[in-house]
Amino acid sequence: MLKYLIEKEWLQIRRNAFLPQLIVMFPITMMCVMPWIMNLEVKNIRVDVVDNDRSTRSIRLIGSVFASNCFVQGGQPSTWEEAFGHIETKRADVVMVIPPHFSRDLANGLHPQVLVAANAVNGTKGSIGGVYLSQIISAHVEPSASAIRQKVSSLFLYNKNLDYKVYMIPALLAEVLMLLCGFLPAFNIVGEKEAGTIEQMNVTPVPKWAFILSKLIPYWMIALFVLGVCLLLSWLVYDITCQGSLWLVLLLSVLFSLFCSSLGLVISNYSHTMYQAVFVMWFFVVCMLLLSGLYTPTRSMPDWAYLTTYVNPMCYFIDAIRTVFVRGGDFHSVAHQMLALLCAASVMGVWAVGSYRKNR
Amino acid sequence: MNAIEVNRLSKSFGRVRALSDVSFTVGRGELFGVIGPDGSGKTTLYRLLCSLLKADSGMVCVDGFDANSQMREIRRRVGYMPGRFSLYPDLTVRENLEFFATLFGTTVDEGYDSIKAIYSQIERFSQRKAGALSGGMKQKLALSCALVHQPSVLFLDEPTTGVDPVSRKEFWEMLDALRQRHITIVASTPYLDEVRHCERVAFLSEGRVMGIGTPEVILEQHAAVFNPPPLPGFHAVAACPDDTSCREEQDTGSEDTVIEVNHLVKAFGAFRAVDDISFSVKRGEIFGFLGANGAGKTTAMHILTGLNQPTSGTGRVAGFDICTEHEHIKRHIGYMSQNFSLYQNLTVAENIRLFAGIYGMNDREIARKTDTLLTQLQFMEHKHDLVGKLPLGWKQKLAFSVAIFHEPAIVFLDEPTGGVDPATRRQFWELIKDAARRGITVFVTTHYMDEAEYCDRISIMVDGKIGAIGTPDELKRQFRQPDMDHVFTCLARQAKRSSN
Repeated sequence: MLKYLIEKEWLQIRRNAFLPQLIVMFPITMMCVMPWIMNLEVKNIRVDVVDNDRSTRSIRLIGSVFASNCFVQGGQPSTWEEAFGHIETKRADVVMVIPPHFSRDLANGLHPQVLVAANAVNGTKGSIGGVYLSQIISAHVEPSASAIRQKVSSLFLYNKNLDYKVYMIPALLAEVLMLLCGFLPAFNIVGEKEAGTIEQMNVTPVPKWAFILSKLIPYWMIALFVLGVCLLLSWLVYDITCQGSLWLVLLLSVLFSLFCSSLGLVISNYSHTMYQAVFVMWFFVVCMLLLSGLYTPTRSMPDWAYLTTYVNPMCYFIDAIRTVFVRGGDFHSVAHQMLALLCAASVMGVWAVGSYRKNR
Repeated sequence: MNAIEVNRLSKSFGRVRALSDVSFTVGRGELFGVIGPDGSGKTTLYRLLCSLLKADSGMVCVDGFDANSQMREIRRRVGYMPGRFSLYPDLTVRENLEFFATLFGTTVDEGYDSIKAIYSQIERFSQRKAGALSGGMKQKLALSCALVHQPSVLFLDEPTTGVDPVSRKEFWEMLDALRQRHITIVASTPYLDEVRHCERVAFLSEGRVMGIGTPEVILEQHAAVFNPPPLPGFHAVAACPDDTSCREEQDTGSEDTVIEVNHLVKAFGAFRAVDDISFSVKRGEIFGFLGANGAGKTTAMHILTGLNQPTSGTGRVAGFDICTEHEHIKRHIGYMSQNFSLYQNLTVAENIRLFAGIYGMNDREIARKTDTLLTQLQFMEHKHDLVGKLPLGWKQKLAFSVAIFHEPAIVFLDEPTGGVDPATRRQFWELIKDAARRGITVFVTTHYMDEAEYCDRISIMVDGKIGAIGTPDELKRQFRQPDMDHVFTCLARQAKRSSN
């Protein structure tokens, strides 16, 4: 019986004008576009230097600025006005103005002021770039401060190149699963409600679980396929591969999709129209996404908000998949997230089958 | 001056020619009927007349304005009531009316006089949501909405499909009243009594006008479509003494009662949709389950098919208890719902395969039976066509065949023939008759009283109770009426609930 139902779902997906295209476009946009956009990296800041001193000292200062891989040399405008024009036309991010007699004043123990102006329209780039630049300057002018800095060294254990994409790709996988396994089956069921065909199904002897499974299995398969394509693309395009076991990624994904689809089904069982289902689903998905630590670290949340992460399955999933993907964690290191996901998925699954009524 | 002039009008959608070379005129204050089978281009014609579509060629002139260049003027002057879904179910009656008034830059109070006769009948329920109204009341509200801006021309696209006979009569009485105010009305309908009500009718078939004239002339000319000979053998069942005696013999065995219901009640809060009904249906019988819109037919049918639980009362369908064994019942029944129930984006064969598979047939059996069925229906060449692209009458025949594909003991049909022409309905009833001959009990609801005459026995529901039950002849004798239409009207007029 299940065979015929699944066959029907496949045919309907295939005949749909939109879904097959979505299934192809989805992994491509997610993997080829999003990692470039969701980017908080501070690299390649263009610095314009207005050197009014032109002494050996000032040239050495400029040299030490560009020795850092953070900064690239922009133009060398002769006046502040000209440099500011570069900022406005986005040709420069930061302007450094070295005052006249910089070298002489420094030698005389006066405190010459170097002006650092950063364009904070891109907030991260502006603020971090500005701070970093002033650190370099003060280290250069006061070698004692530089000596202190040299005693502190940082060692990156994972993601050694500080590539933000490595951090984002596992999170994007979570989004793919959420959208494909949560939304599509839910809307499919509400669609049958609106068309009236669900009534026909309800007077047949189809068991509840068979009907629900026939809705879920095709989308699970699509989701796993998309997941595979995403991993393949991240390897081909960015040369980023999973550090841990792919089986663990698969297991986590299955548990998480089970949760997402059950959530979608619960919502579809209580909704009468597509409109209602879309809004309720959006509400839950947006809340779960924003509270999950996908975009911002959970530890930066206020305490009361941090408490919600204990009941947010998305949070466990993202935590676990980053552990496996970035750190190469083994089963032991994600066991408790796995348990939490299993609990969430079973609770939702039971609720989904229970709330679907063939007879009321 | 004529209210509507249509001259050599043509419209194609891609390769499909919806209308070709259509010409007619409608005089001011005339009640003009547009009739024809499903898919003959009626709705396209309406949309062209309302200037919602642009014609490929030809001229449309409504109330003296050209539909191509002066659509603003036309839209101010016409009222259009599309076939279905013209109301917002989540707004109240009053809000719907106000919304439509605002659309035309007027207010309900300003237009009140023109809708008073109709709106006063539903004004008591102005705070009720439109979705909660019965079919007849929805039509009245939709008509009020189409009239609130005092149009001079009214277009009605099958306004009474799915509406019970009494509400239909009331609806056409309102149209008569409108005519006296010199409003031009163009209406389409699948009901013959309504066709006869028009002054002139145009018969459309496959996008062409096959004839224009008085209803009598047109119905006579195209009798093959509109007035097919009654099904042979139907009345014979009751008349033939051998057959009846044979039936009575069968009836004595208690195992031959396939549906038995005792004191069934379904209440939604204080509202008793089904109020203490009891009846039984014998094997092989065609049982007509009639009633006005909102009398509780669909609710009762949902209980019998195991979709709903009764509030109280007992019943057995196909030998199983309706309260506790509803999943067993589902194995032994077929069902064809009011909303068309096959999957539109699957082909004919795929739909059959799906439903047969659900009832546990194997691939070989399905393939064999599919071919037999399609050959019988002369449908073989459409085996791989999408169901959504078939004409409505074919869809209904197919849906019925799918509902009895697994040889159920009983098949439940909820208004199976809404909106199709008489000839197609007749073909449909031949299928029903065949099924009954094979021993399948048929439980059917309908608003067509000529179909009621085909049933072996009939019950008429009034306000959630069974108002009358018996063979058509018995009922006619009991109520001293000439035909079922009058019996129904006589009973339904007693209803207190269907009017509220």
